[in-house]
Amino acid sequence: MSPATPMDVVRSGTRDPLDVLRLREQFPVLARQVHGKPLVYFDNAATVQRPLAVIEAMDGFYRRYNANVHRGVHQLSVEASEAFEQSREDLRRFLNASSEREIVFTRGTTEAINLVANSYLGPRLKPGDEILITHMEHHANIVPWQMLCERTGAVLKVAPINRRGELMLDAMAELISERTKLIGVVHVSNALGTVNPVAEVCALAGKHGVPVLVDGAQATPHEKVDVQALGCDFYCLSAHKMYGPTGIGALWAREALLEDMPPWQGGGEMIRWVSFEGTTYNDIPHRFEAGTPNISGAIGLGAAIRWLEQTGVERIKDHEQRLLDLATEKMSQVEGLTIIGQAADKGPVISFILEGVHPNDLGTIIDHHGVALRTGHHCAMPAMQFFDVPATARVSFAAYNLHSEIDVFLNGLEQARQMLA
Amino acid sequence: MALARLYQQVILDHNRSPRHFGRLADVTHSARGLDGLCGDDILVELQVADGRIKAAMFSGTACAVTTASASMLMDWLEGRGLGEIEAAVARFESLLADPELPDAPDLGAINHLRAVAAFPARVRNALLPWQTVVRALSGSA
Repeated sequence: MSPATPMDVVRSGTRDPLDVLRLREQFPVLARQVHGKPLVYFDNAATVQRPLAVIEAMDGFYRRYNANVHRGVHQLSVEASEAFEQSREDLRRFLNASSEREIVFTRGTTEAINLVANSYLGPRLKPGDEILITHMEHHANIVPWQMLCERTGAVLKVAPINRRGELMLDAMAELISERTKLIGVVHVSNALGTVNPVAEVCALAGKHGVPVLVDGAQATPHEKVDVQALGCDFYCLSAHKMYGPTGIGALWAREALLEDMPPWQGGGEMIRWVSFEGTTYNDIPHRFEAGTPNISGAIGLGAAIRWLEQTGVERIKDHEQRLLDLATEKMSQVEGLTIIGQAADKGPVISFILEGVHPNDLGTIIDHHGVALRTGHHCAMPAMQFFDVPATARVSFAAYNLHSEIDVFLNGLEQARQMLA
Repeated sequence: MALARLYQQVILDHNRSPRHFGRLADVTHSARGLDGLCGDDILVELQVADGRIKAAMFSGTACAVTTASASMLMDWLEGRGLGEIEAAVARFESLLADPELPDAPDLGAINHLRAVAAFPARVRNALLPWQTVVRALSGSA
């Protein structure tokens, strides 16, 4: 492990700082080596590592009370159902939703967006209607709408961004009309780091009565999210970005909207009564959870939320913002390095290009320093096209990253430059 | 060490000064090779006459592995009969897959690209120009 520097425990504001070294002990994977070097995990925007609390919660389910949920009268099924529903309550509290009936478990953000596209918006769209998104969206908040437009004759509109990678709110406002049936906006951009003014977008949309869907995948591990304060209508998230397992996420939606939405997948769990003459559907949120759900995943997500709450999202944010500031400052001094995405309000994500070194080659060389970073288009090709780059390299930070790891990364960067540029 | 083998002088040289780089006049066959995930985007242009590749050029932006692979391949292609290409592609693929195989003398400098076999995530980069040539020859300009 890289040594901690005094900066890792610097006090910030009125909050107790994170004890990053002790926190790292909760993440078994951080002890491993890669190519003979200590792992420096800077690919957190792709997926974060899991703490023991999450690993053990899932392990405990399989060891002690593995059973299907909402189906049996036996003790194991009761315990599994309680743990599963406890996670829904954990998520309700975490998002400050008014009812756990508003929380639908999905496979992740992507499935949550597809659920809204198919069940909410699909039946409402007519040819010529419009869906408004932004130029910095992840493919998950582009392609489902494109598919819907193809099916219905609706039109996808794109709100512009400026050269810093910030949403141009005034231009967005001009694109909202009576034809606009939904606005989709990413809370924190995975490719640029931009934190979008979601509450302002919602206020803007509210004037026209347009519902807003927020892609929160990248926000939940870094920002205190309060869906009622944001004023949005749909909020989508993925557990694996917030210290939970892969394959599980959720859609939060206003109760009245969910009540009005038909199911989108048929099967067990989502029904109340089935006969060949007809079927009565279950109440929300179960109506949208056909089939045996990802029970261990939901239990892992609940454990991740409790871990986040105990650790403190705001404390994590303070720590990550210091990492972001330090890395931004040091990287700005590297000759030939350009940071893509320089919004005033940024999450702990730095996309960049290095003159003369293709991101792919940089990724390979720096991997041999033990540093895991992401290269490519980050599932946001239109954003890459806006900045006229085919790909970037990206470092992204989490609660367990150390200031000294930034120097390991910069050494790798220097070697890549010497080899290739 | 594998990293030094991958970024050896020959490959770096082809990356810095790619041969046959640019646009070709009188193109008979062409194809675009895209790897969205990596950001590689190349255009292969060929001039075929009398069953032979008279000229081969590539352009675009790509990583060092793709660029070096394209540069070496274009070099090798010029003057080849169309009947030779399919077997060469198959041989190149097996050279990348099996480190026990001896070098293929007729492929010349291309054998240096075998270093990529130690980097499974990068094999696709070495193959992209070859796949693009195959697609170009299966269609026309």
